[in-house]
Amino acid sequence: MSVTDVNQPRETISRRPEASKIPPWAWDAWRIVSSVAVTLLGLLALTFFIGRMLPIDPVIAIVGEQADASTYDMVYKQLGLDKPLYVQFLYFMGDMLRGEFGNALFMGNKVSADLMRVFPATIELATIAITIGVFVGIPIGVLAAVYRGSPIDHFARIIGLLGYSVPTFWSGLMGLVLFYAILGWVGGPGRLDVFYIDIVDRVTGLLLVDALIAGEWEVFQNAVSHIVLPASILSFNAIAFISRLTRSFMLAQLSQEYILAARVKGLSKWKVIRKHAFRNIAVQLLTIVALAYAILLEGAVVTETVFAWPGFGRYLVSGLLAGDMNAVLACVLIVGIIFVSINLICDLLYRILDPRTK
Amino acid sequence: MRRLLAPSLILAATLAAASAQAATPKDALVMAWNLDALITLDPAQIAEVNGNDIMRNVCSRLVRFNIADPSKLEPEIAESWSSSEDGLTLTFKLRKDIKFPSGKAATAHDAVWSLKRAIHLNFGNAANLTEWGFTSAKADEQIRAVDDHTIEVKLPQPYPTGLIVSAAFTSNVSSVLNKETGEKNAKTTDGRSDYGNGWFKTQSDCVGPYKVRTWNANDVLILEANDIYFGEKPGLRRVLIRHVPESGAQRLQLEKGDIDVGRLLSSDDLKALATNKDIHIEQTVMHGYSYFAFNAQDPILSNPKVRLAFRYLVDYEGLERTVMAYQGKARNSLVPIGAFGALDEKAGLPFKLDLDMAKKLLTEAGYPNGFTKKYILSANAFNPAVAQHVQANAAKVGIKLELEQMADANLFTKMRAREFEIGQIGWGAGYPDAHSMVSRHAQNPDNRPEAKLAQYPTWRSAWVDPKVNDMAAKAMMERNDAKRIAAYHELQKYMLENGPMAYMFQTVRPIAIRKEVKGFQIGAFEVRYRSASK
Repeated sequence: MSVTDVNQPRETISRRPEASKIPPWAWDAWRIVSSVAVTLLGLLALTFFIGRMLPIDPVIAIVGEQADASTYDMVYKQLGLDKPLYVQFLYFMGDMLRGEFGNALFMGNKVSADLMRVFPATIELATIAITIGVFVGIPIGVLAAVYRGSPIDHFARIIGLLGYSVPTFWSGLMGLVLFYAILGWVGGPGRLDVFYIDIVDRVTGLLLVDALIAGEWEVFQNAVSHIVLPASILSFNAIAFISRLTRSFMLAQLSQEYILAARVKGLSKWKVIRKHAFRNIAVQLLTIVALAYAILLEGAVVTETVFAWPGFGRYLVSGLLAGDMNAVLACVLIVGIIFVSINLICDLLYRILDPRTK
Repeated sequence: MRRLLAPSLILAATLAAASAQAATPKDALVMAWNLDALITLDPAQIAEVNGNDIMRNVCSRLVRFNIADPSKLEPEIAESWSSSEDGLTLTFKLRKDIKFPSGKAATAHDAVWSLKRAIHLNFGNAANLTEWGFTSAKADEQIRAVDDHTIEVKLPQPYPTGLIVSAAFTSNVSSVLNKETGEKNAKTTDGRSDYGNGWFKTQSDCVGPYKVRTWNANDVLILEANDIYFGEKPGLRRVLIRHVPESGAQRLQLEKGDIDVGRLLSSDDLKALATNKDIHIEQTVMHGYSYFAFNAQDPILSNPKVRLAFRYLVDYEGLERTVMAYQGKARNSLVPIGAFGALDEKAGLPFKLDLDMAKKLLTEAGYPNGFTKKYILSANAFNPAVAQHVQANAAKVGIKLELEQMADANLFTKMRAREFEIGQIGWGAGYPDAHSMVSRHAQNPDNRPEAKLAQYPTWRSAWVDPKVNDMAAKAMMERNDAKRIAAYHELQKYMLENGPMAYMFQTVRPIAIRKEVKGFQIGAFEVRYRSASK
């Protein structure tokens, strides 16, 4: 590119045309949709081509390790693996634009149907986990900041350290040993005891909600007893993450002069913390809670394995290990959409929580 | 604080009420298993352990193995069978009281359709028929229904009757599916019918003691008793198979009584359960192996003395007591104990850890200072521990083994493509006759790379021995049992010294069962759910 080129005034796609009749909201919508589409397309293309480089053969999973070459070739062609990579990718994109994700190579089910089955289980688990994370993590963080250096702060630090460092596999199994096997306070692995399987019709896929819709109180109770432990284990990391950052945000606010001014005005300590300091960290908290929720929604493979939870994380990993790229791509797309959606929701909420962003 | 109190009390009350429930239903058998690999319920397609185990309880076959002694055959859907004088025609007489769960009578036409369907679909299971000369083009002439209760099978060669019945007509492909359901649900793609495969993948309509009621993949599979089953009625109305992939979680559920049967427990968990008076561990010696294979394309590994040296690098009995407790029984011969034609236990385990002998053989082979080789293996279960044991002993005689662990799918791909030097892997025989192993682990019909006979481990190892091919072919066609046994004994002894695989352990399948469950019959080729009661 020449110097002259650089100095030329340039019209770019990112620039809003000044004399355009397009209303600003439409321009913003177009900008968001196009950037989301490009992001998701890039994500899919990257996943697809990396996935195809993995040394895992999906045909073996279907025909069995002892199959002969003719059987192998037949299934290889049925799966479309004989086609060039870009053609396979275009097929997938075509399916996706029709609102499908193709069939899972493994069972031949529609991937969309599989996702409808596994994703609600993860949504249910992640939502309860993030709720615990927020209601435990934020108070711990606030208290640790307010009583900096006190035993409460040390306790919060230990919680943070454990939440980050204890392997979920271990804490999950220990939780099961203590609360399920020894104390009998919670249900075991799986979403329900065998007595309650198949009683409630599937409406939303969220078992707690479906049980309430069906008026099956006993099923609801049983489902709660099964979800409470995995959700608590899963929330442990979120508690650590949220409490440490809440503490840090609060400390930054508490050292500001306006806090001192508010106190000098005669406001009580907790009123200042609640009405001023906490309100000012709301936007930052929203960001980290949203991020923690998005991470939980991706599925927690280890937690889902220990607790035999038929969720999204295990579906994604099973697909990956079997080389089932239709399933993997659909999952990647879902994760991408989760992150993008949560970012958009956060953007909107920022405007409500922080008047300066309006 | 008061605002939090109410929800907390509700949660506590909910948990207290829910956790009061205990034990499993009286009329149901609750099993925990890892159902990750279960991808189809279609008997023509099943290629893994779980599906095979489950569907044997849903779809009865023409003939079955005696559960205690699988080398003996028993009638199931076929009440009798006979062979013509020339050995080229097999006739099966079917029971007259067989019905599908809907009440519709099952006939020889359904049975013939099911057999031919398997051949046409040509999934891996089709080999149960195609390797005996049945083909899609000739299927109509080769397998036909003489009347509603008689099937006539034309054999391309006069195989010993016991062998062909055992190999082909006890397998999944001899399940009797409802032809009407298959045809109604068949889908045609590019002019090729799927014979209802899409439907049978997730549902059942066949003659058997149970029917599939619900299958939520990677969650739970529920079977329900078929009230009009012709044979022994199921002792329990339902069988619930829960997907519990973690051994520790299975163990806790078993101890607590939330499941009746644990199907996938680690050695450590089994050792812990062995002291529990409420639980019994049933160990079944299976017709499968853990072994390591050598790639004969490698100039060093193509030397029989080198391969023989490796056989002296394993402490078979020591590993059996430790790493392989509940998982394997030491054995070196390629025909498993319990199969027709197997060497006895002593003759089948001639090797032991002997580093001096290994060193001597390596010196004779021209490698007194050893060499370096890559050794690939599955990252699952006992495999890494066994491989490390081999590696440590190999190092003592100068062989440096570079271990590479990988996912099973990756391991299978590499070995099927001959892309390995030494590979540790497993294999399961399809039926309890020496031929099942010999036909794959000794014979190699065509060693050329372009033949792509990946279903033959001998081909994967690029190993062929015309003498072995000849011995195996003769043994297979021998109609005198005593002579056939002698032929297989001779072949096994030859393979022990020369073969491309070093067999270490015959697979053991441990199943942990709560004492409340009575009469649960477990065999090497069948786990009979219907015999269980409480």
